[in-house]
Amino acid sequence: MIQIYNLGRAYQKDSAALDDITLKIPKGDFVYITGPSGAGKSTLLKLLYGAEKPNRGQILIDGQNLTRMSPARISLLRRRMGVVFQDFKLLTARTVFENVAFPLEIQGRKRYEISKKVYQTIKQVGLEHKLQRHPLELSGGEQQRVAIARALVVDPLVLLADEPTGNLDPEVTVEILELFRGANARGTTVLLATHDRELIRRFPRRLIVLESGRLVDDRTP
Amino acid sequence: MFERSGFFVLRALRNMRQSPMLCSAAVGTVAVALTILAFFAIVVLNVQKLTRHWSEDVQVVAFIDTIPEERILQQWMADIRGLPEVEKVDFVSRAEALKRFKKRLADDADLLEGVAPDILPASFEITLNEESRNRVGVSALVSRLRHNTGLSDLRYGQEWLERFESFVSLLRFAGAILGGFLLFAALFIVANTIKLTLYARRDELEIMALVGATPIFIKSPFLLEGALQGALGGGLAVAGAYALFQLFLQQGLNSLLLASGVERVTFLPLSWQLLLIAAGVLLGFAGSLLSLRKLVRI
Repeated sequence: MIQIYNLGRAYQKDSAALDDITLKIPKGDFVYITGPSGAGKSTLLKLLYGAEKPNRGQILIDGQNLTRMSPARISLLRRRMGVVFQDFKLLTARTVFENVAFPLEIQGRKRYEISKKVYQTIKQVGLEHKLQRHPLELSGGEQQRVAIARALVVDPLVLLADEPTGNLDPEVTVEILELFRGANARGTTVLLATHDRELIRRFPRRLIVLESGRLVDDRTP
Repeated sequence: MFERSGFFVLRALRNMRQSPMLCSAAVGTVAVALTILAFFAIVVLNVQKLTRHWSEDVQVVAFIDTIPEERILQQWMADIRGLPEVEKVDFVSRAEALKRFKKRLADDADLLEGVAPDILPASFEITLNEESRNRVGVSALVSRLRHNTGLSDLRYGQEWLERFESFVSLLRFAGAILGGFLLFAALFIVANTIKLTLYARRDELEIMALVGATPIFIKSPFLLEGALQGALGGGLAVAGAYALFQLFLQQGLNSLLLASGVERVTFLPLSWQLLLIAAGVLLGFAGSLLSLRKLVRI
């Protein structure tokens, strides 16, 4: 599913954010990426959804070489990916429904198709009673559910999450993780960057540990 | 495809409605710059018209020393008429020349009493065709005429013509420089205005890119917005220039030019008006393109 070979990314000449990472993540896997702040977790995710280009190495997603793709091809690849952030990145001027519908609108799907799919997905994350609310009227946990619904609405092959529970209290964190586990159970490959050890301890899965841009551990419980 | 275009137009219009201040600033800048440009164009256009009018007087007069026999005279006239710069040739006989001179002297015509009727030389008055009524045309004709040794002296208002031509080209040059500066300033301001609207919507742009909008899909509404603003600015410039023309310029130019023989001061022709609007469109489009290139990089 995801193949990474000798990946390197440096923002400055003598300090690498990522250094010689080689990884294989099979389809349907659930992987935690962990490590201290500045270890390169976010950089790895950014490279995976094509927001940045690596200085060296290759990334293959579903057999396609991301590092050699044109911006337009990367956009098309992103339509089959979901990305979730710590700060949700929702459009505050739009309702919950409109936020979740956004990726489908951009793909030019038919209106009735969008309505149906968006409602189903919002129901999946348990917010069907808040369709017409705006993000700022919701709690942090609810906003993150909206963001997850927006990522899941396209039935992504891969779900990338960068510290999705970083701003949430432990109870809500568990609820959010359940959503990722649910998506994973339906076949989506999940990569979750977190430094929440408690979370990893309670729900153990394959764990990739980064430190100063290097891969220091890769173990499956 | 049509659905997409409709979506882009709707988005562009919505963007404009969402930030009316920024939109008006961009439209206003284009309008002001193009109005000043149009103003200059009107002046240059009318002065050029004056040049054309004056140039109708550009003639070459070729004096004839000894009048040859009628057949040769006709031959010379036919030869001159056949030259590429010539529109028409008139023969002015000695008697005719004297008659004109007397007429010009008016009350003092009696001064000429007792003067021999062949005191003045006969001549050809050669009128040039419109394309040749300039320095190059006149000197080309004069050099051709010099081949005929029967023509003793060639007179033409060369110095006056040269001075006038350099004045017109200076005016045109000043117009081009000023216009260039204005367009550049307008481009800069439009680019920055669009950049501000982009900055205000950077979250939306980032999320669009994140969920798989292609670069062209993200950029198109903004390019369209720029072009629309440019078109609006261009339209306003035409209207503004027309209003200014009616209010001030027409009178001013009339008093200046009518005295010099131009029948009517005119506004820009339709093709120039359309060109002005097209310049607005181009300006807005280029302004958007410039700022988009820097901002949308996801």
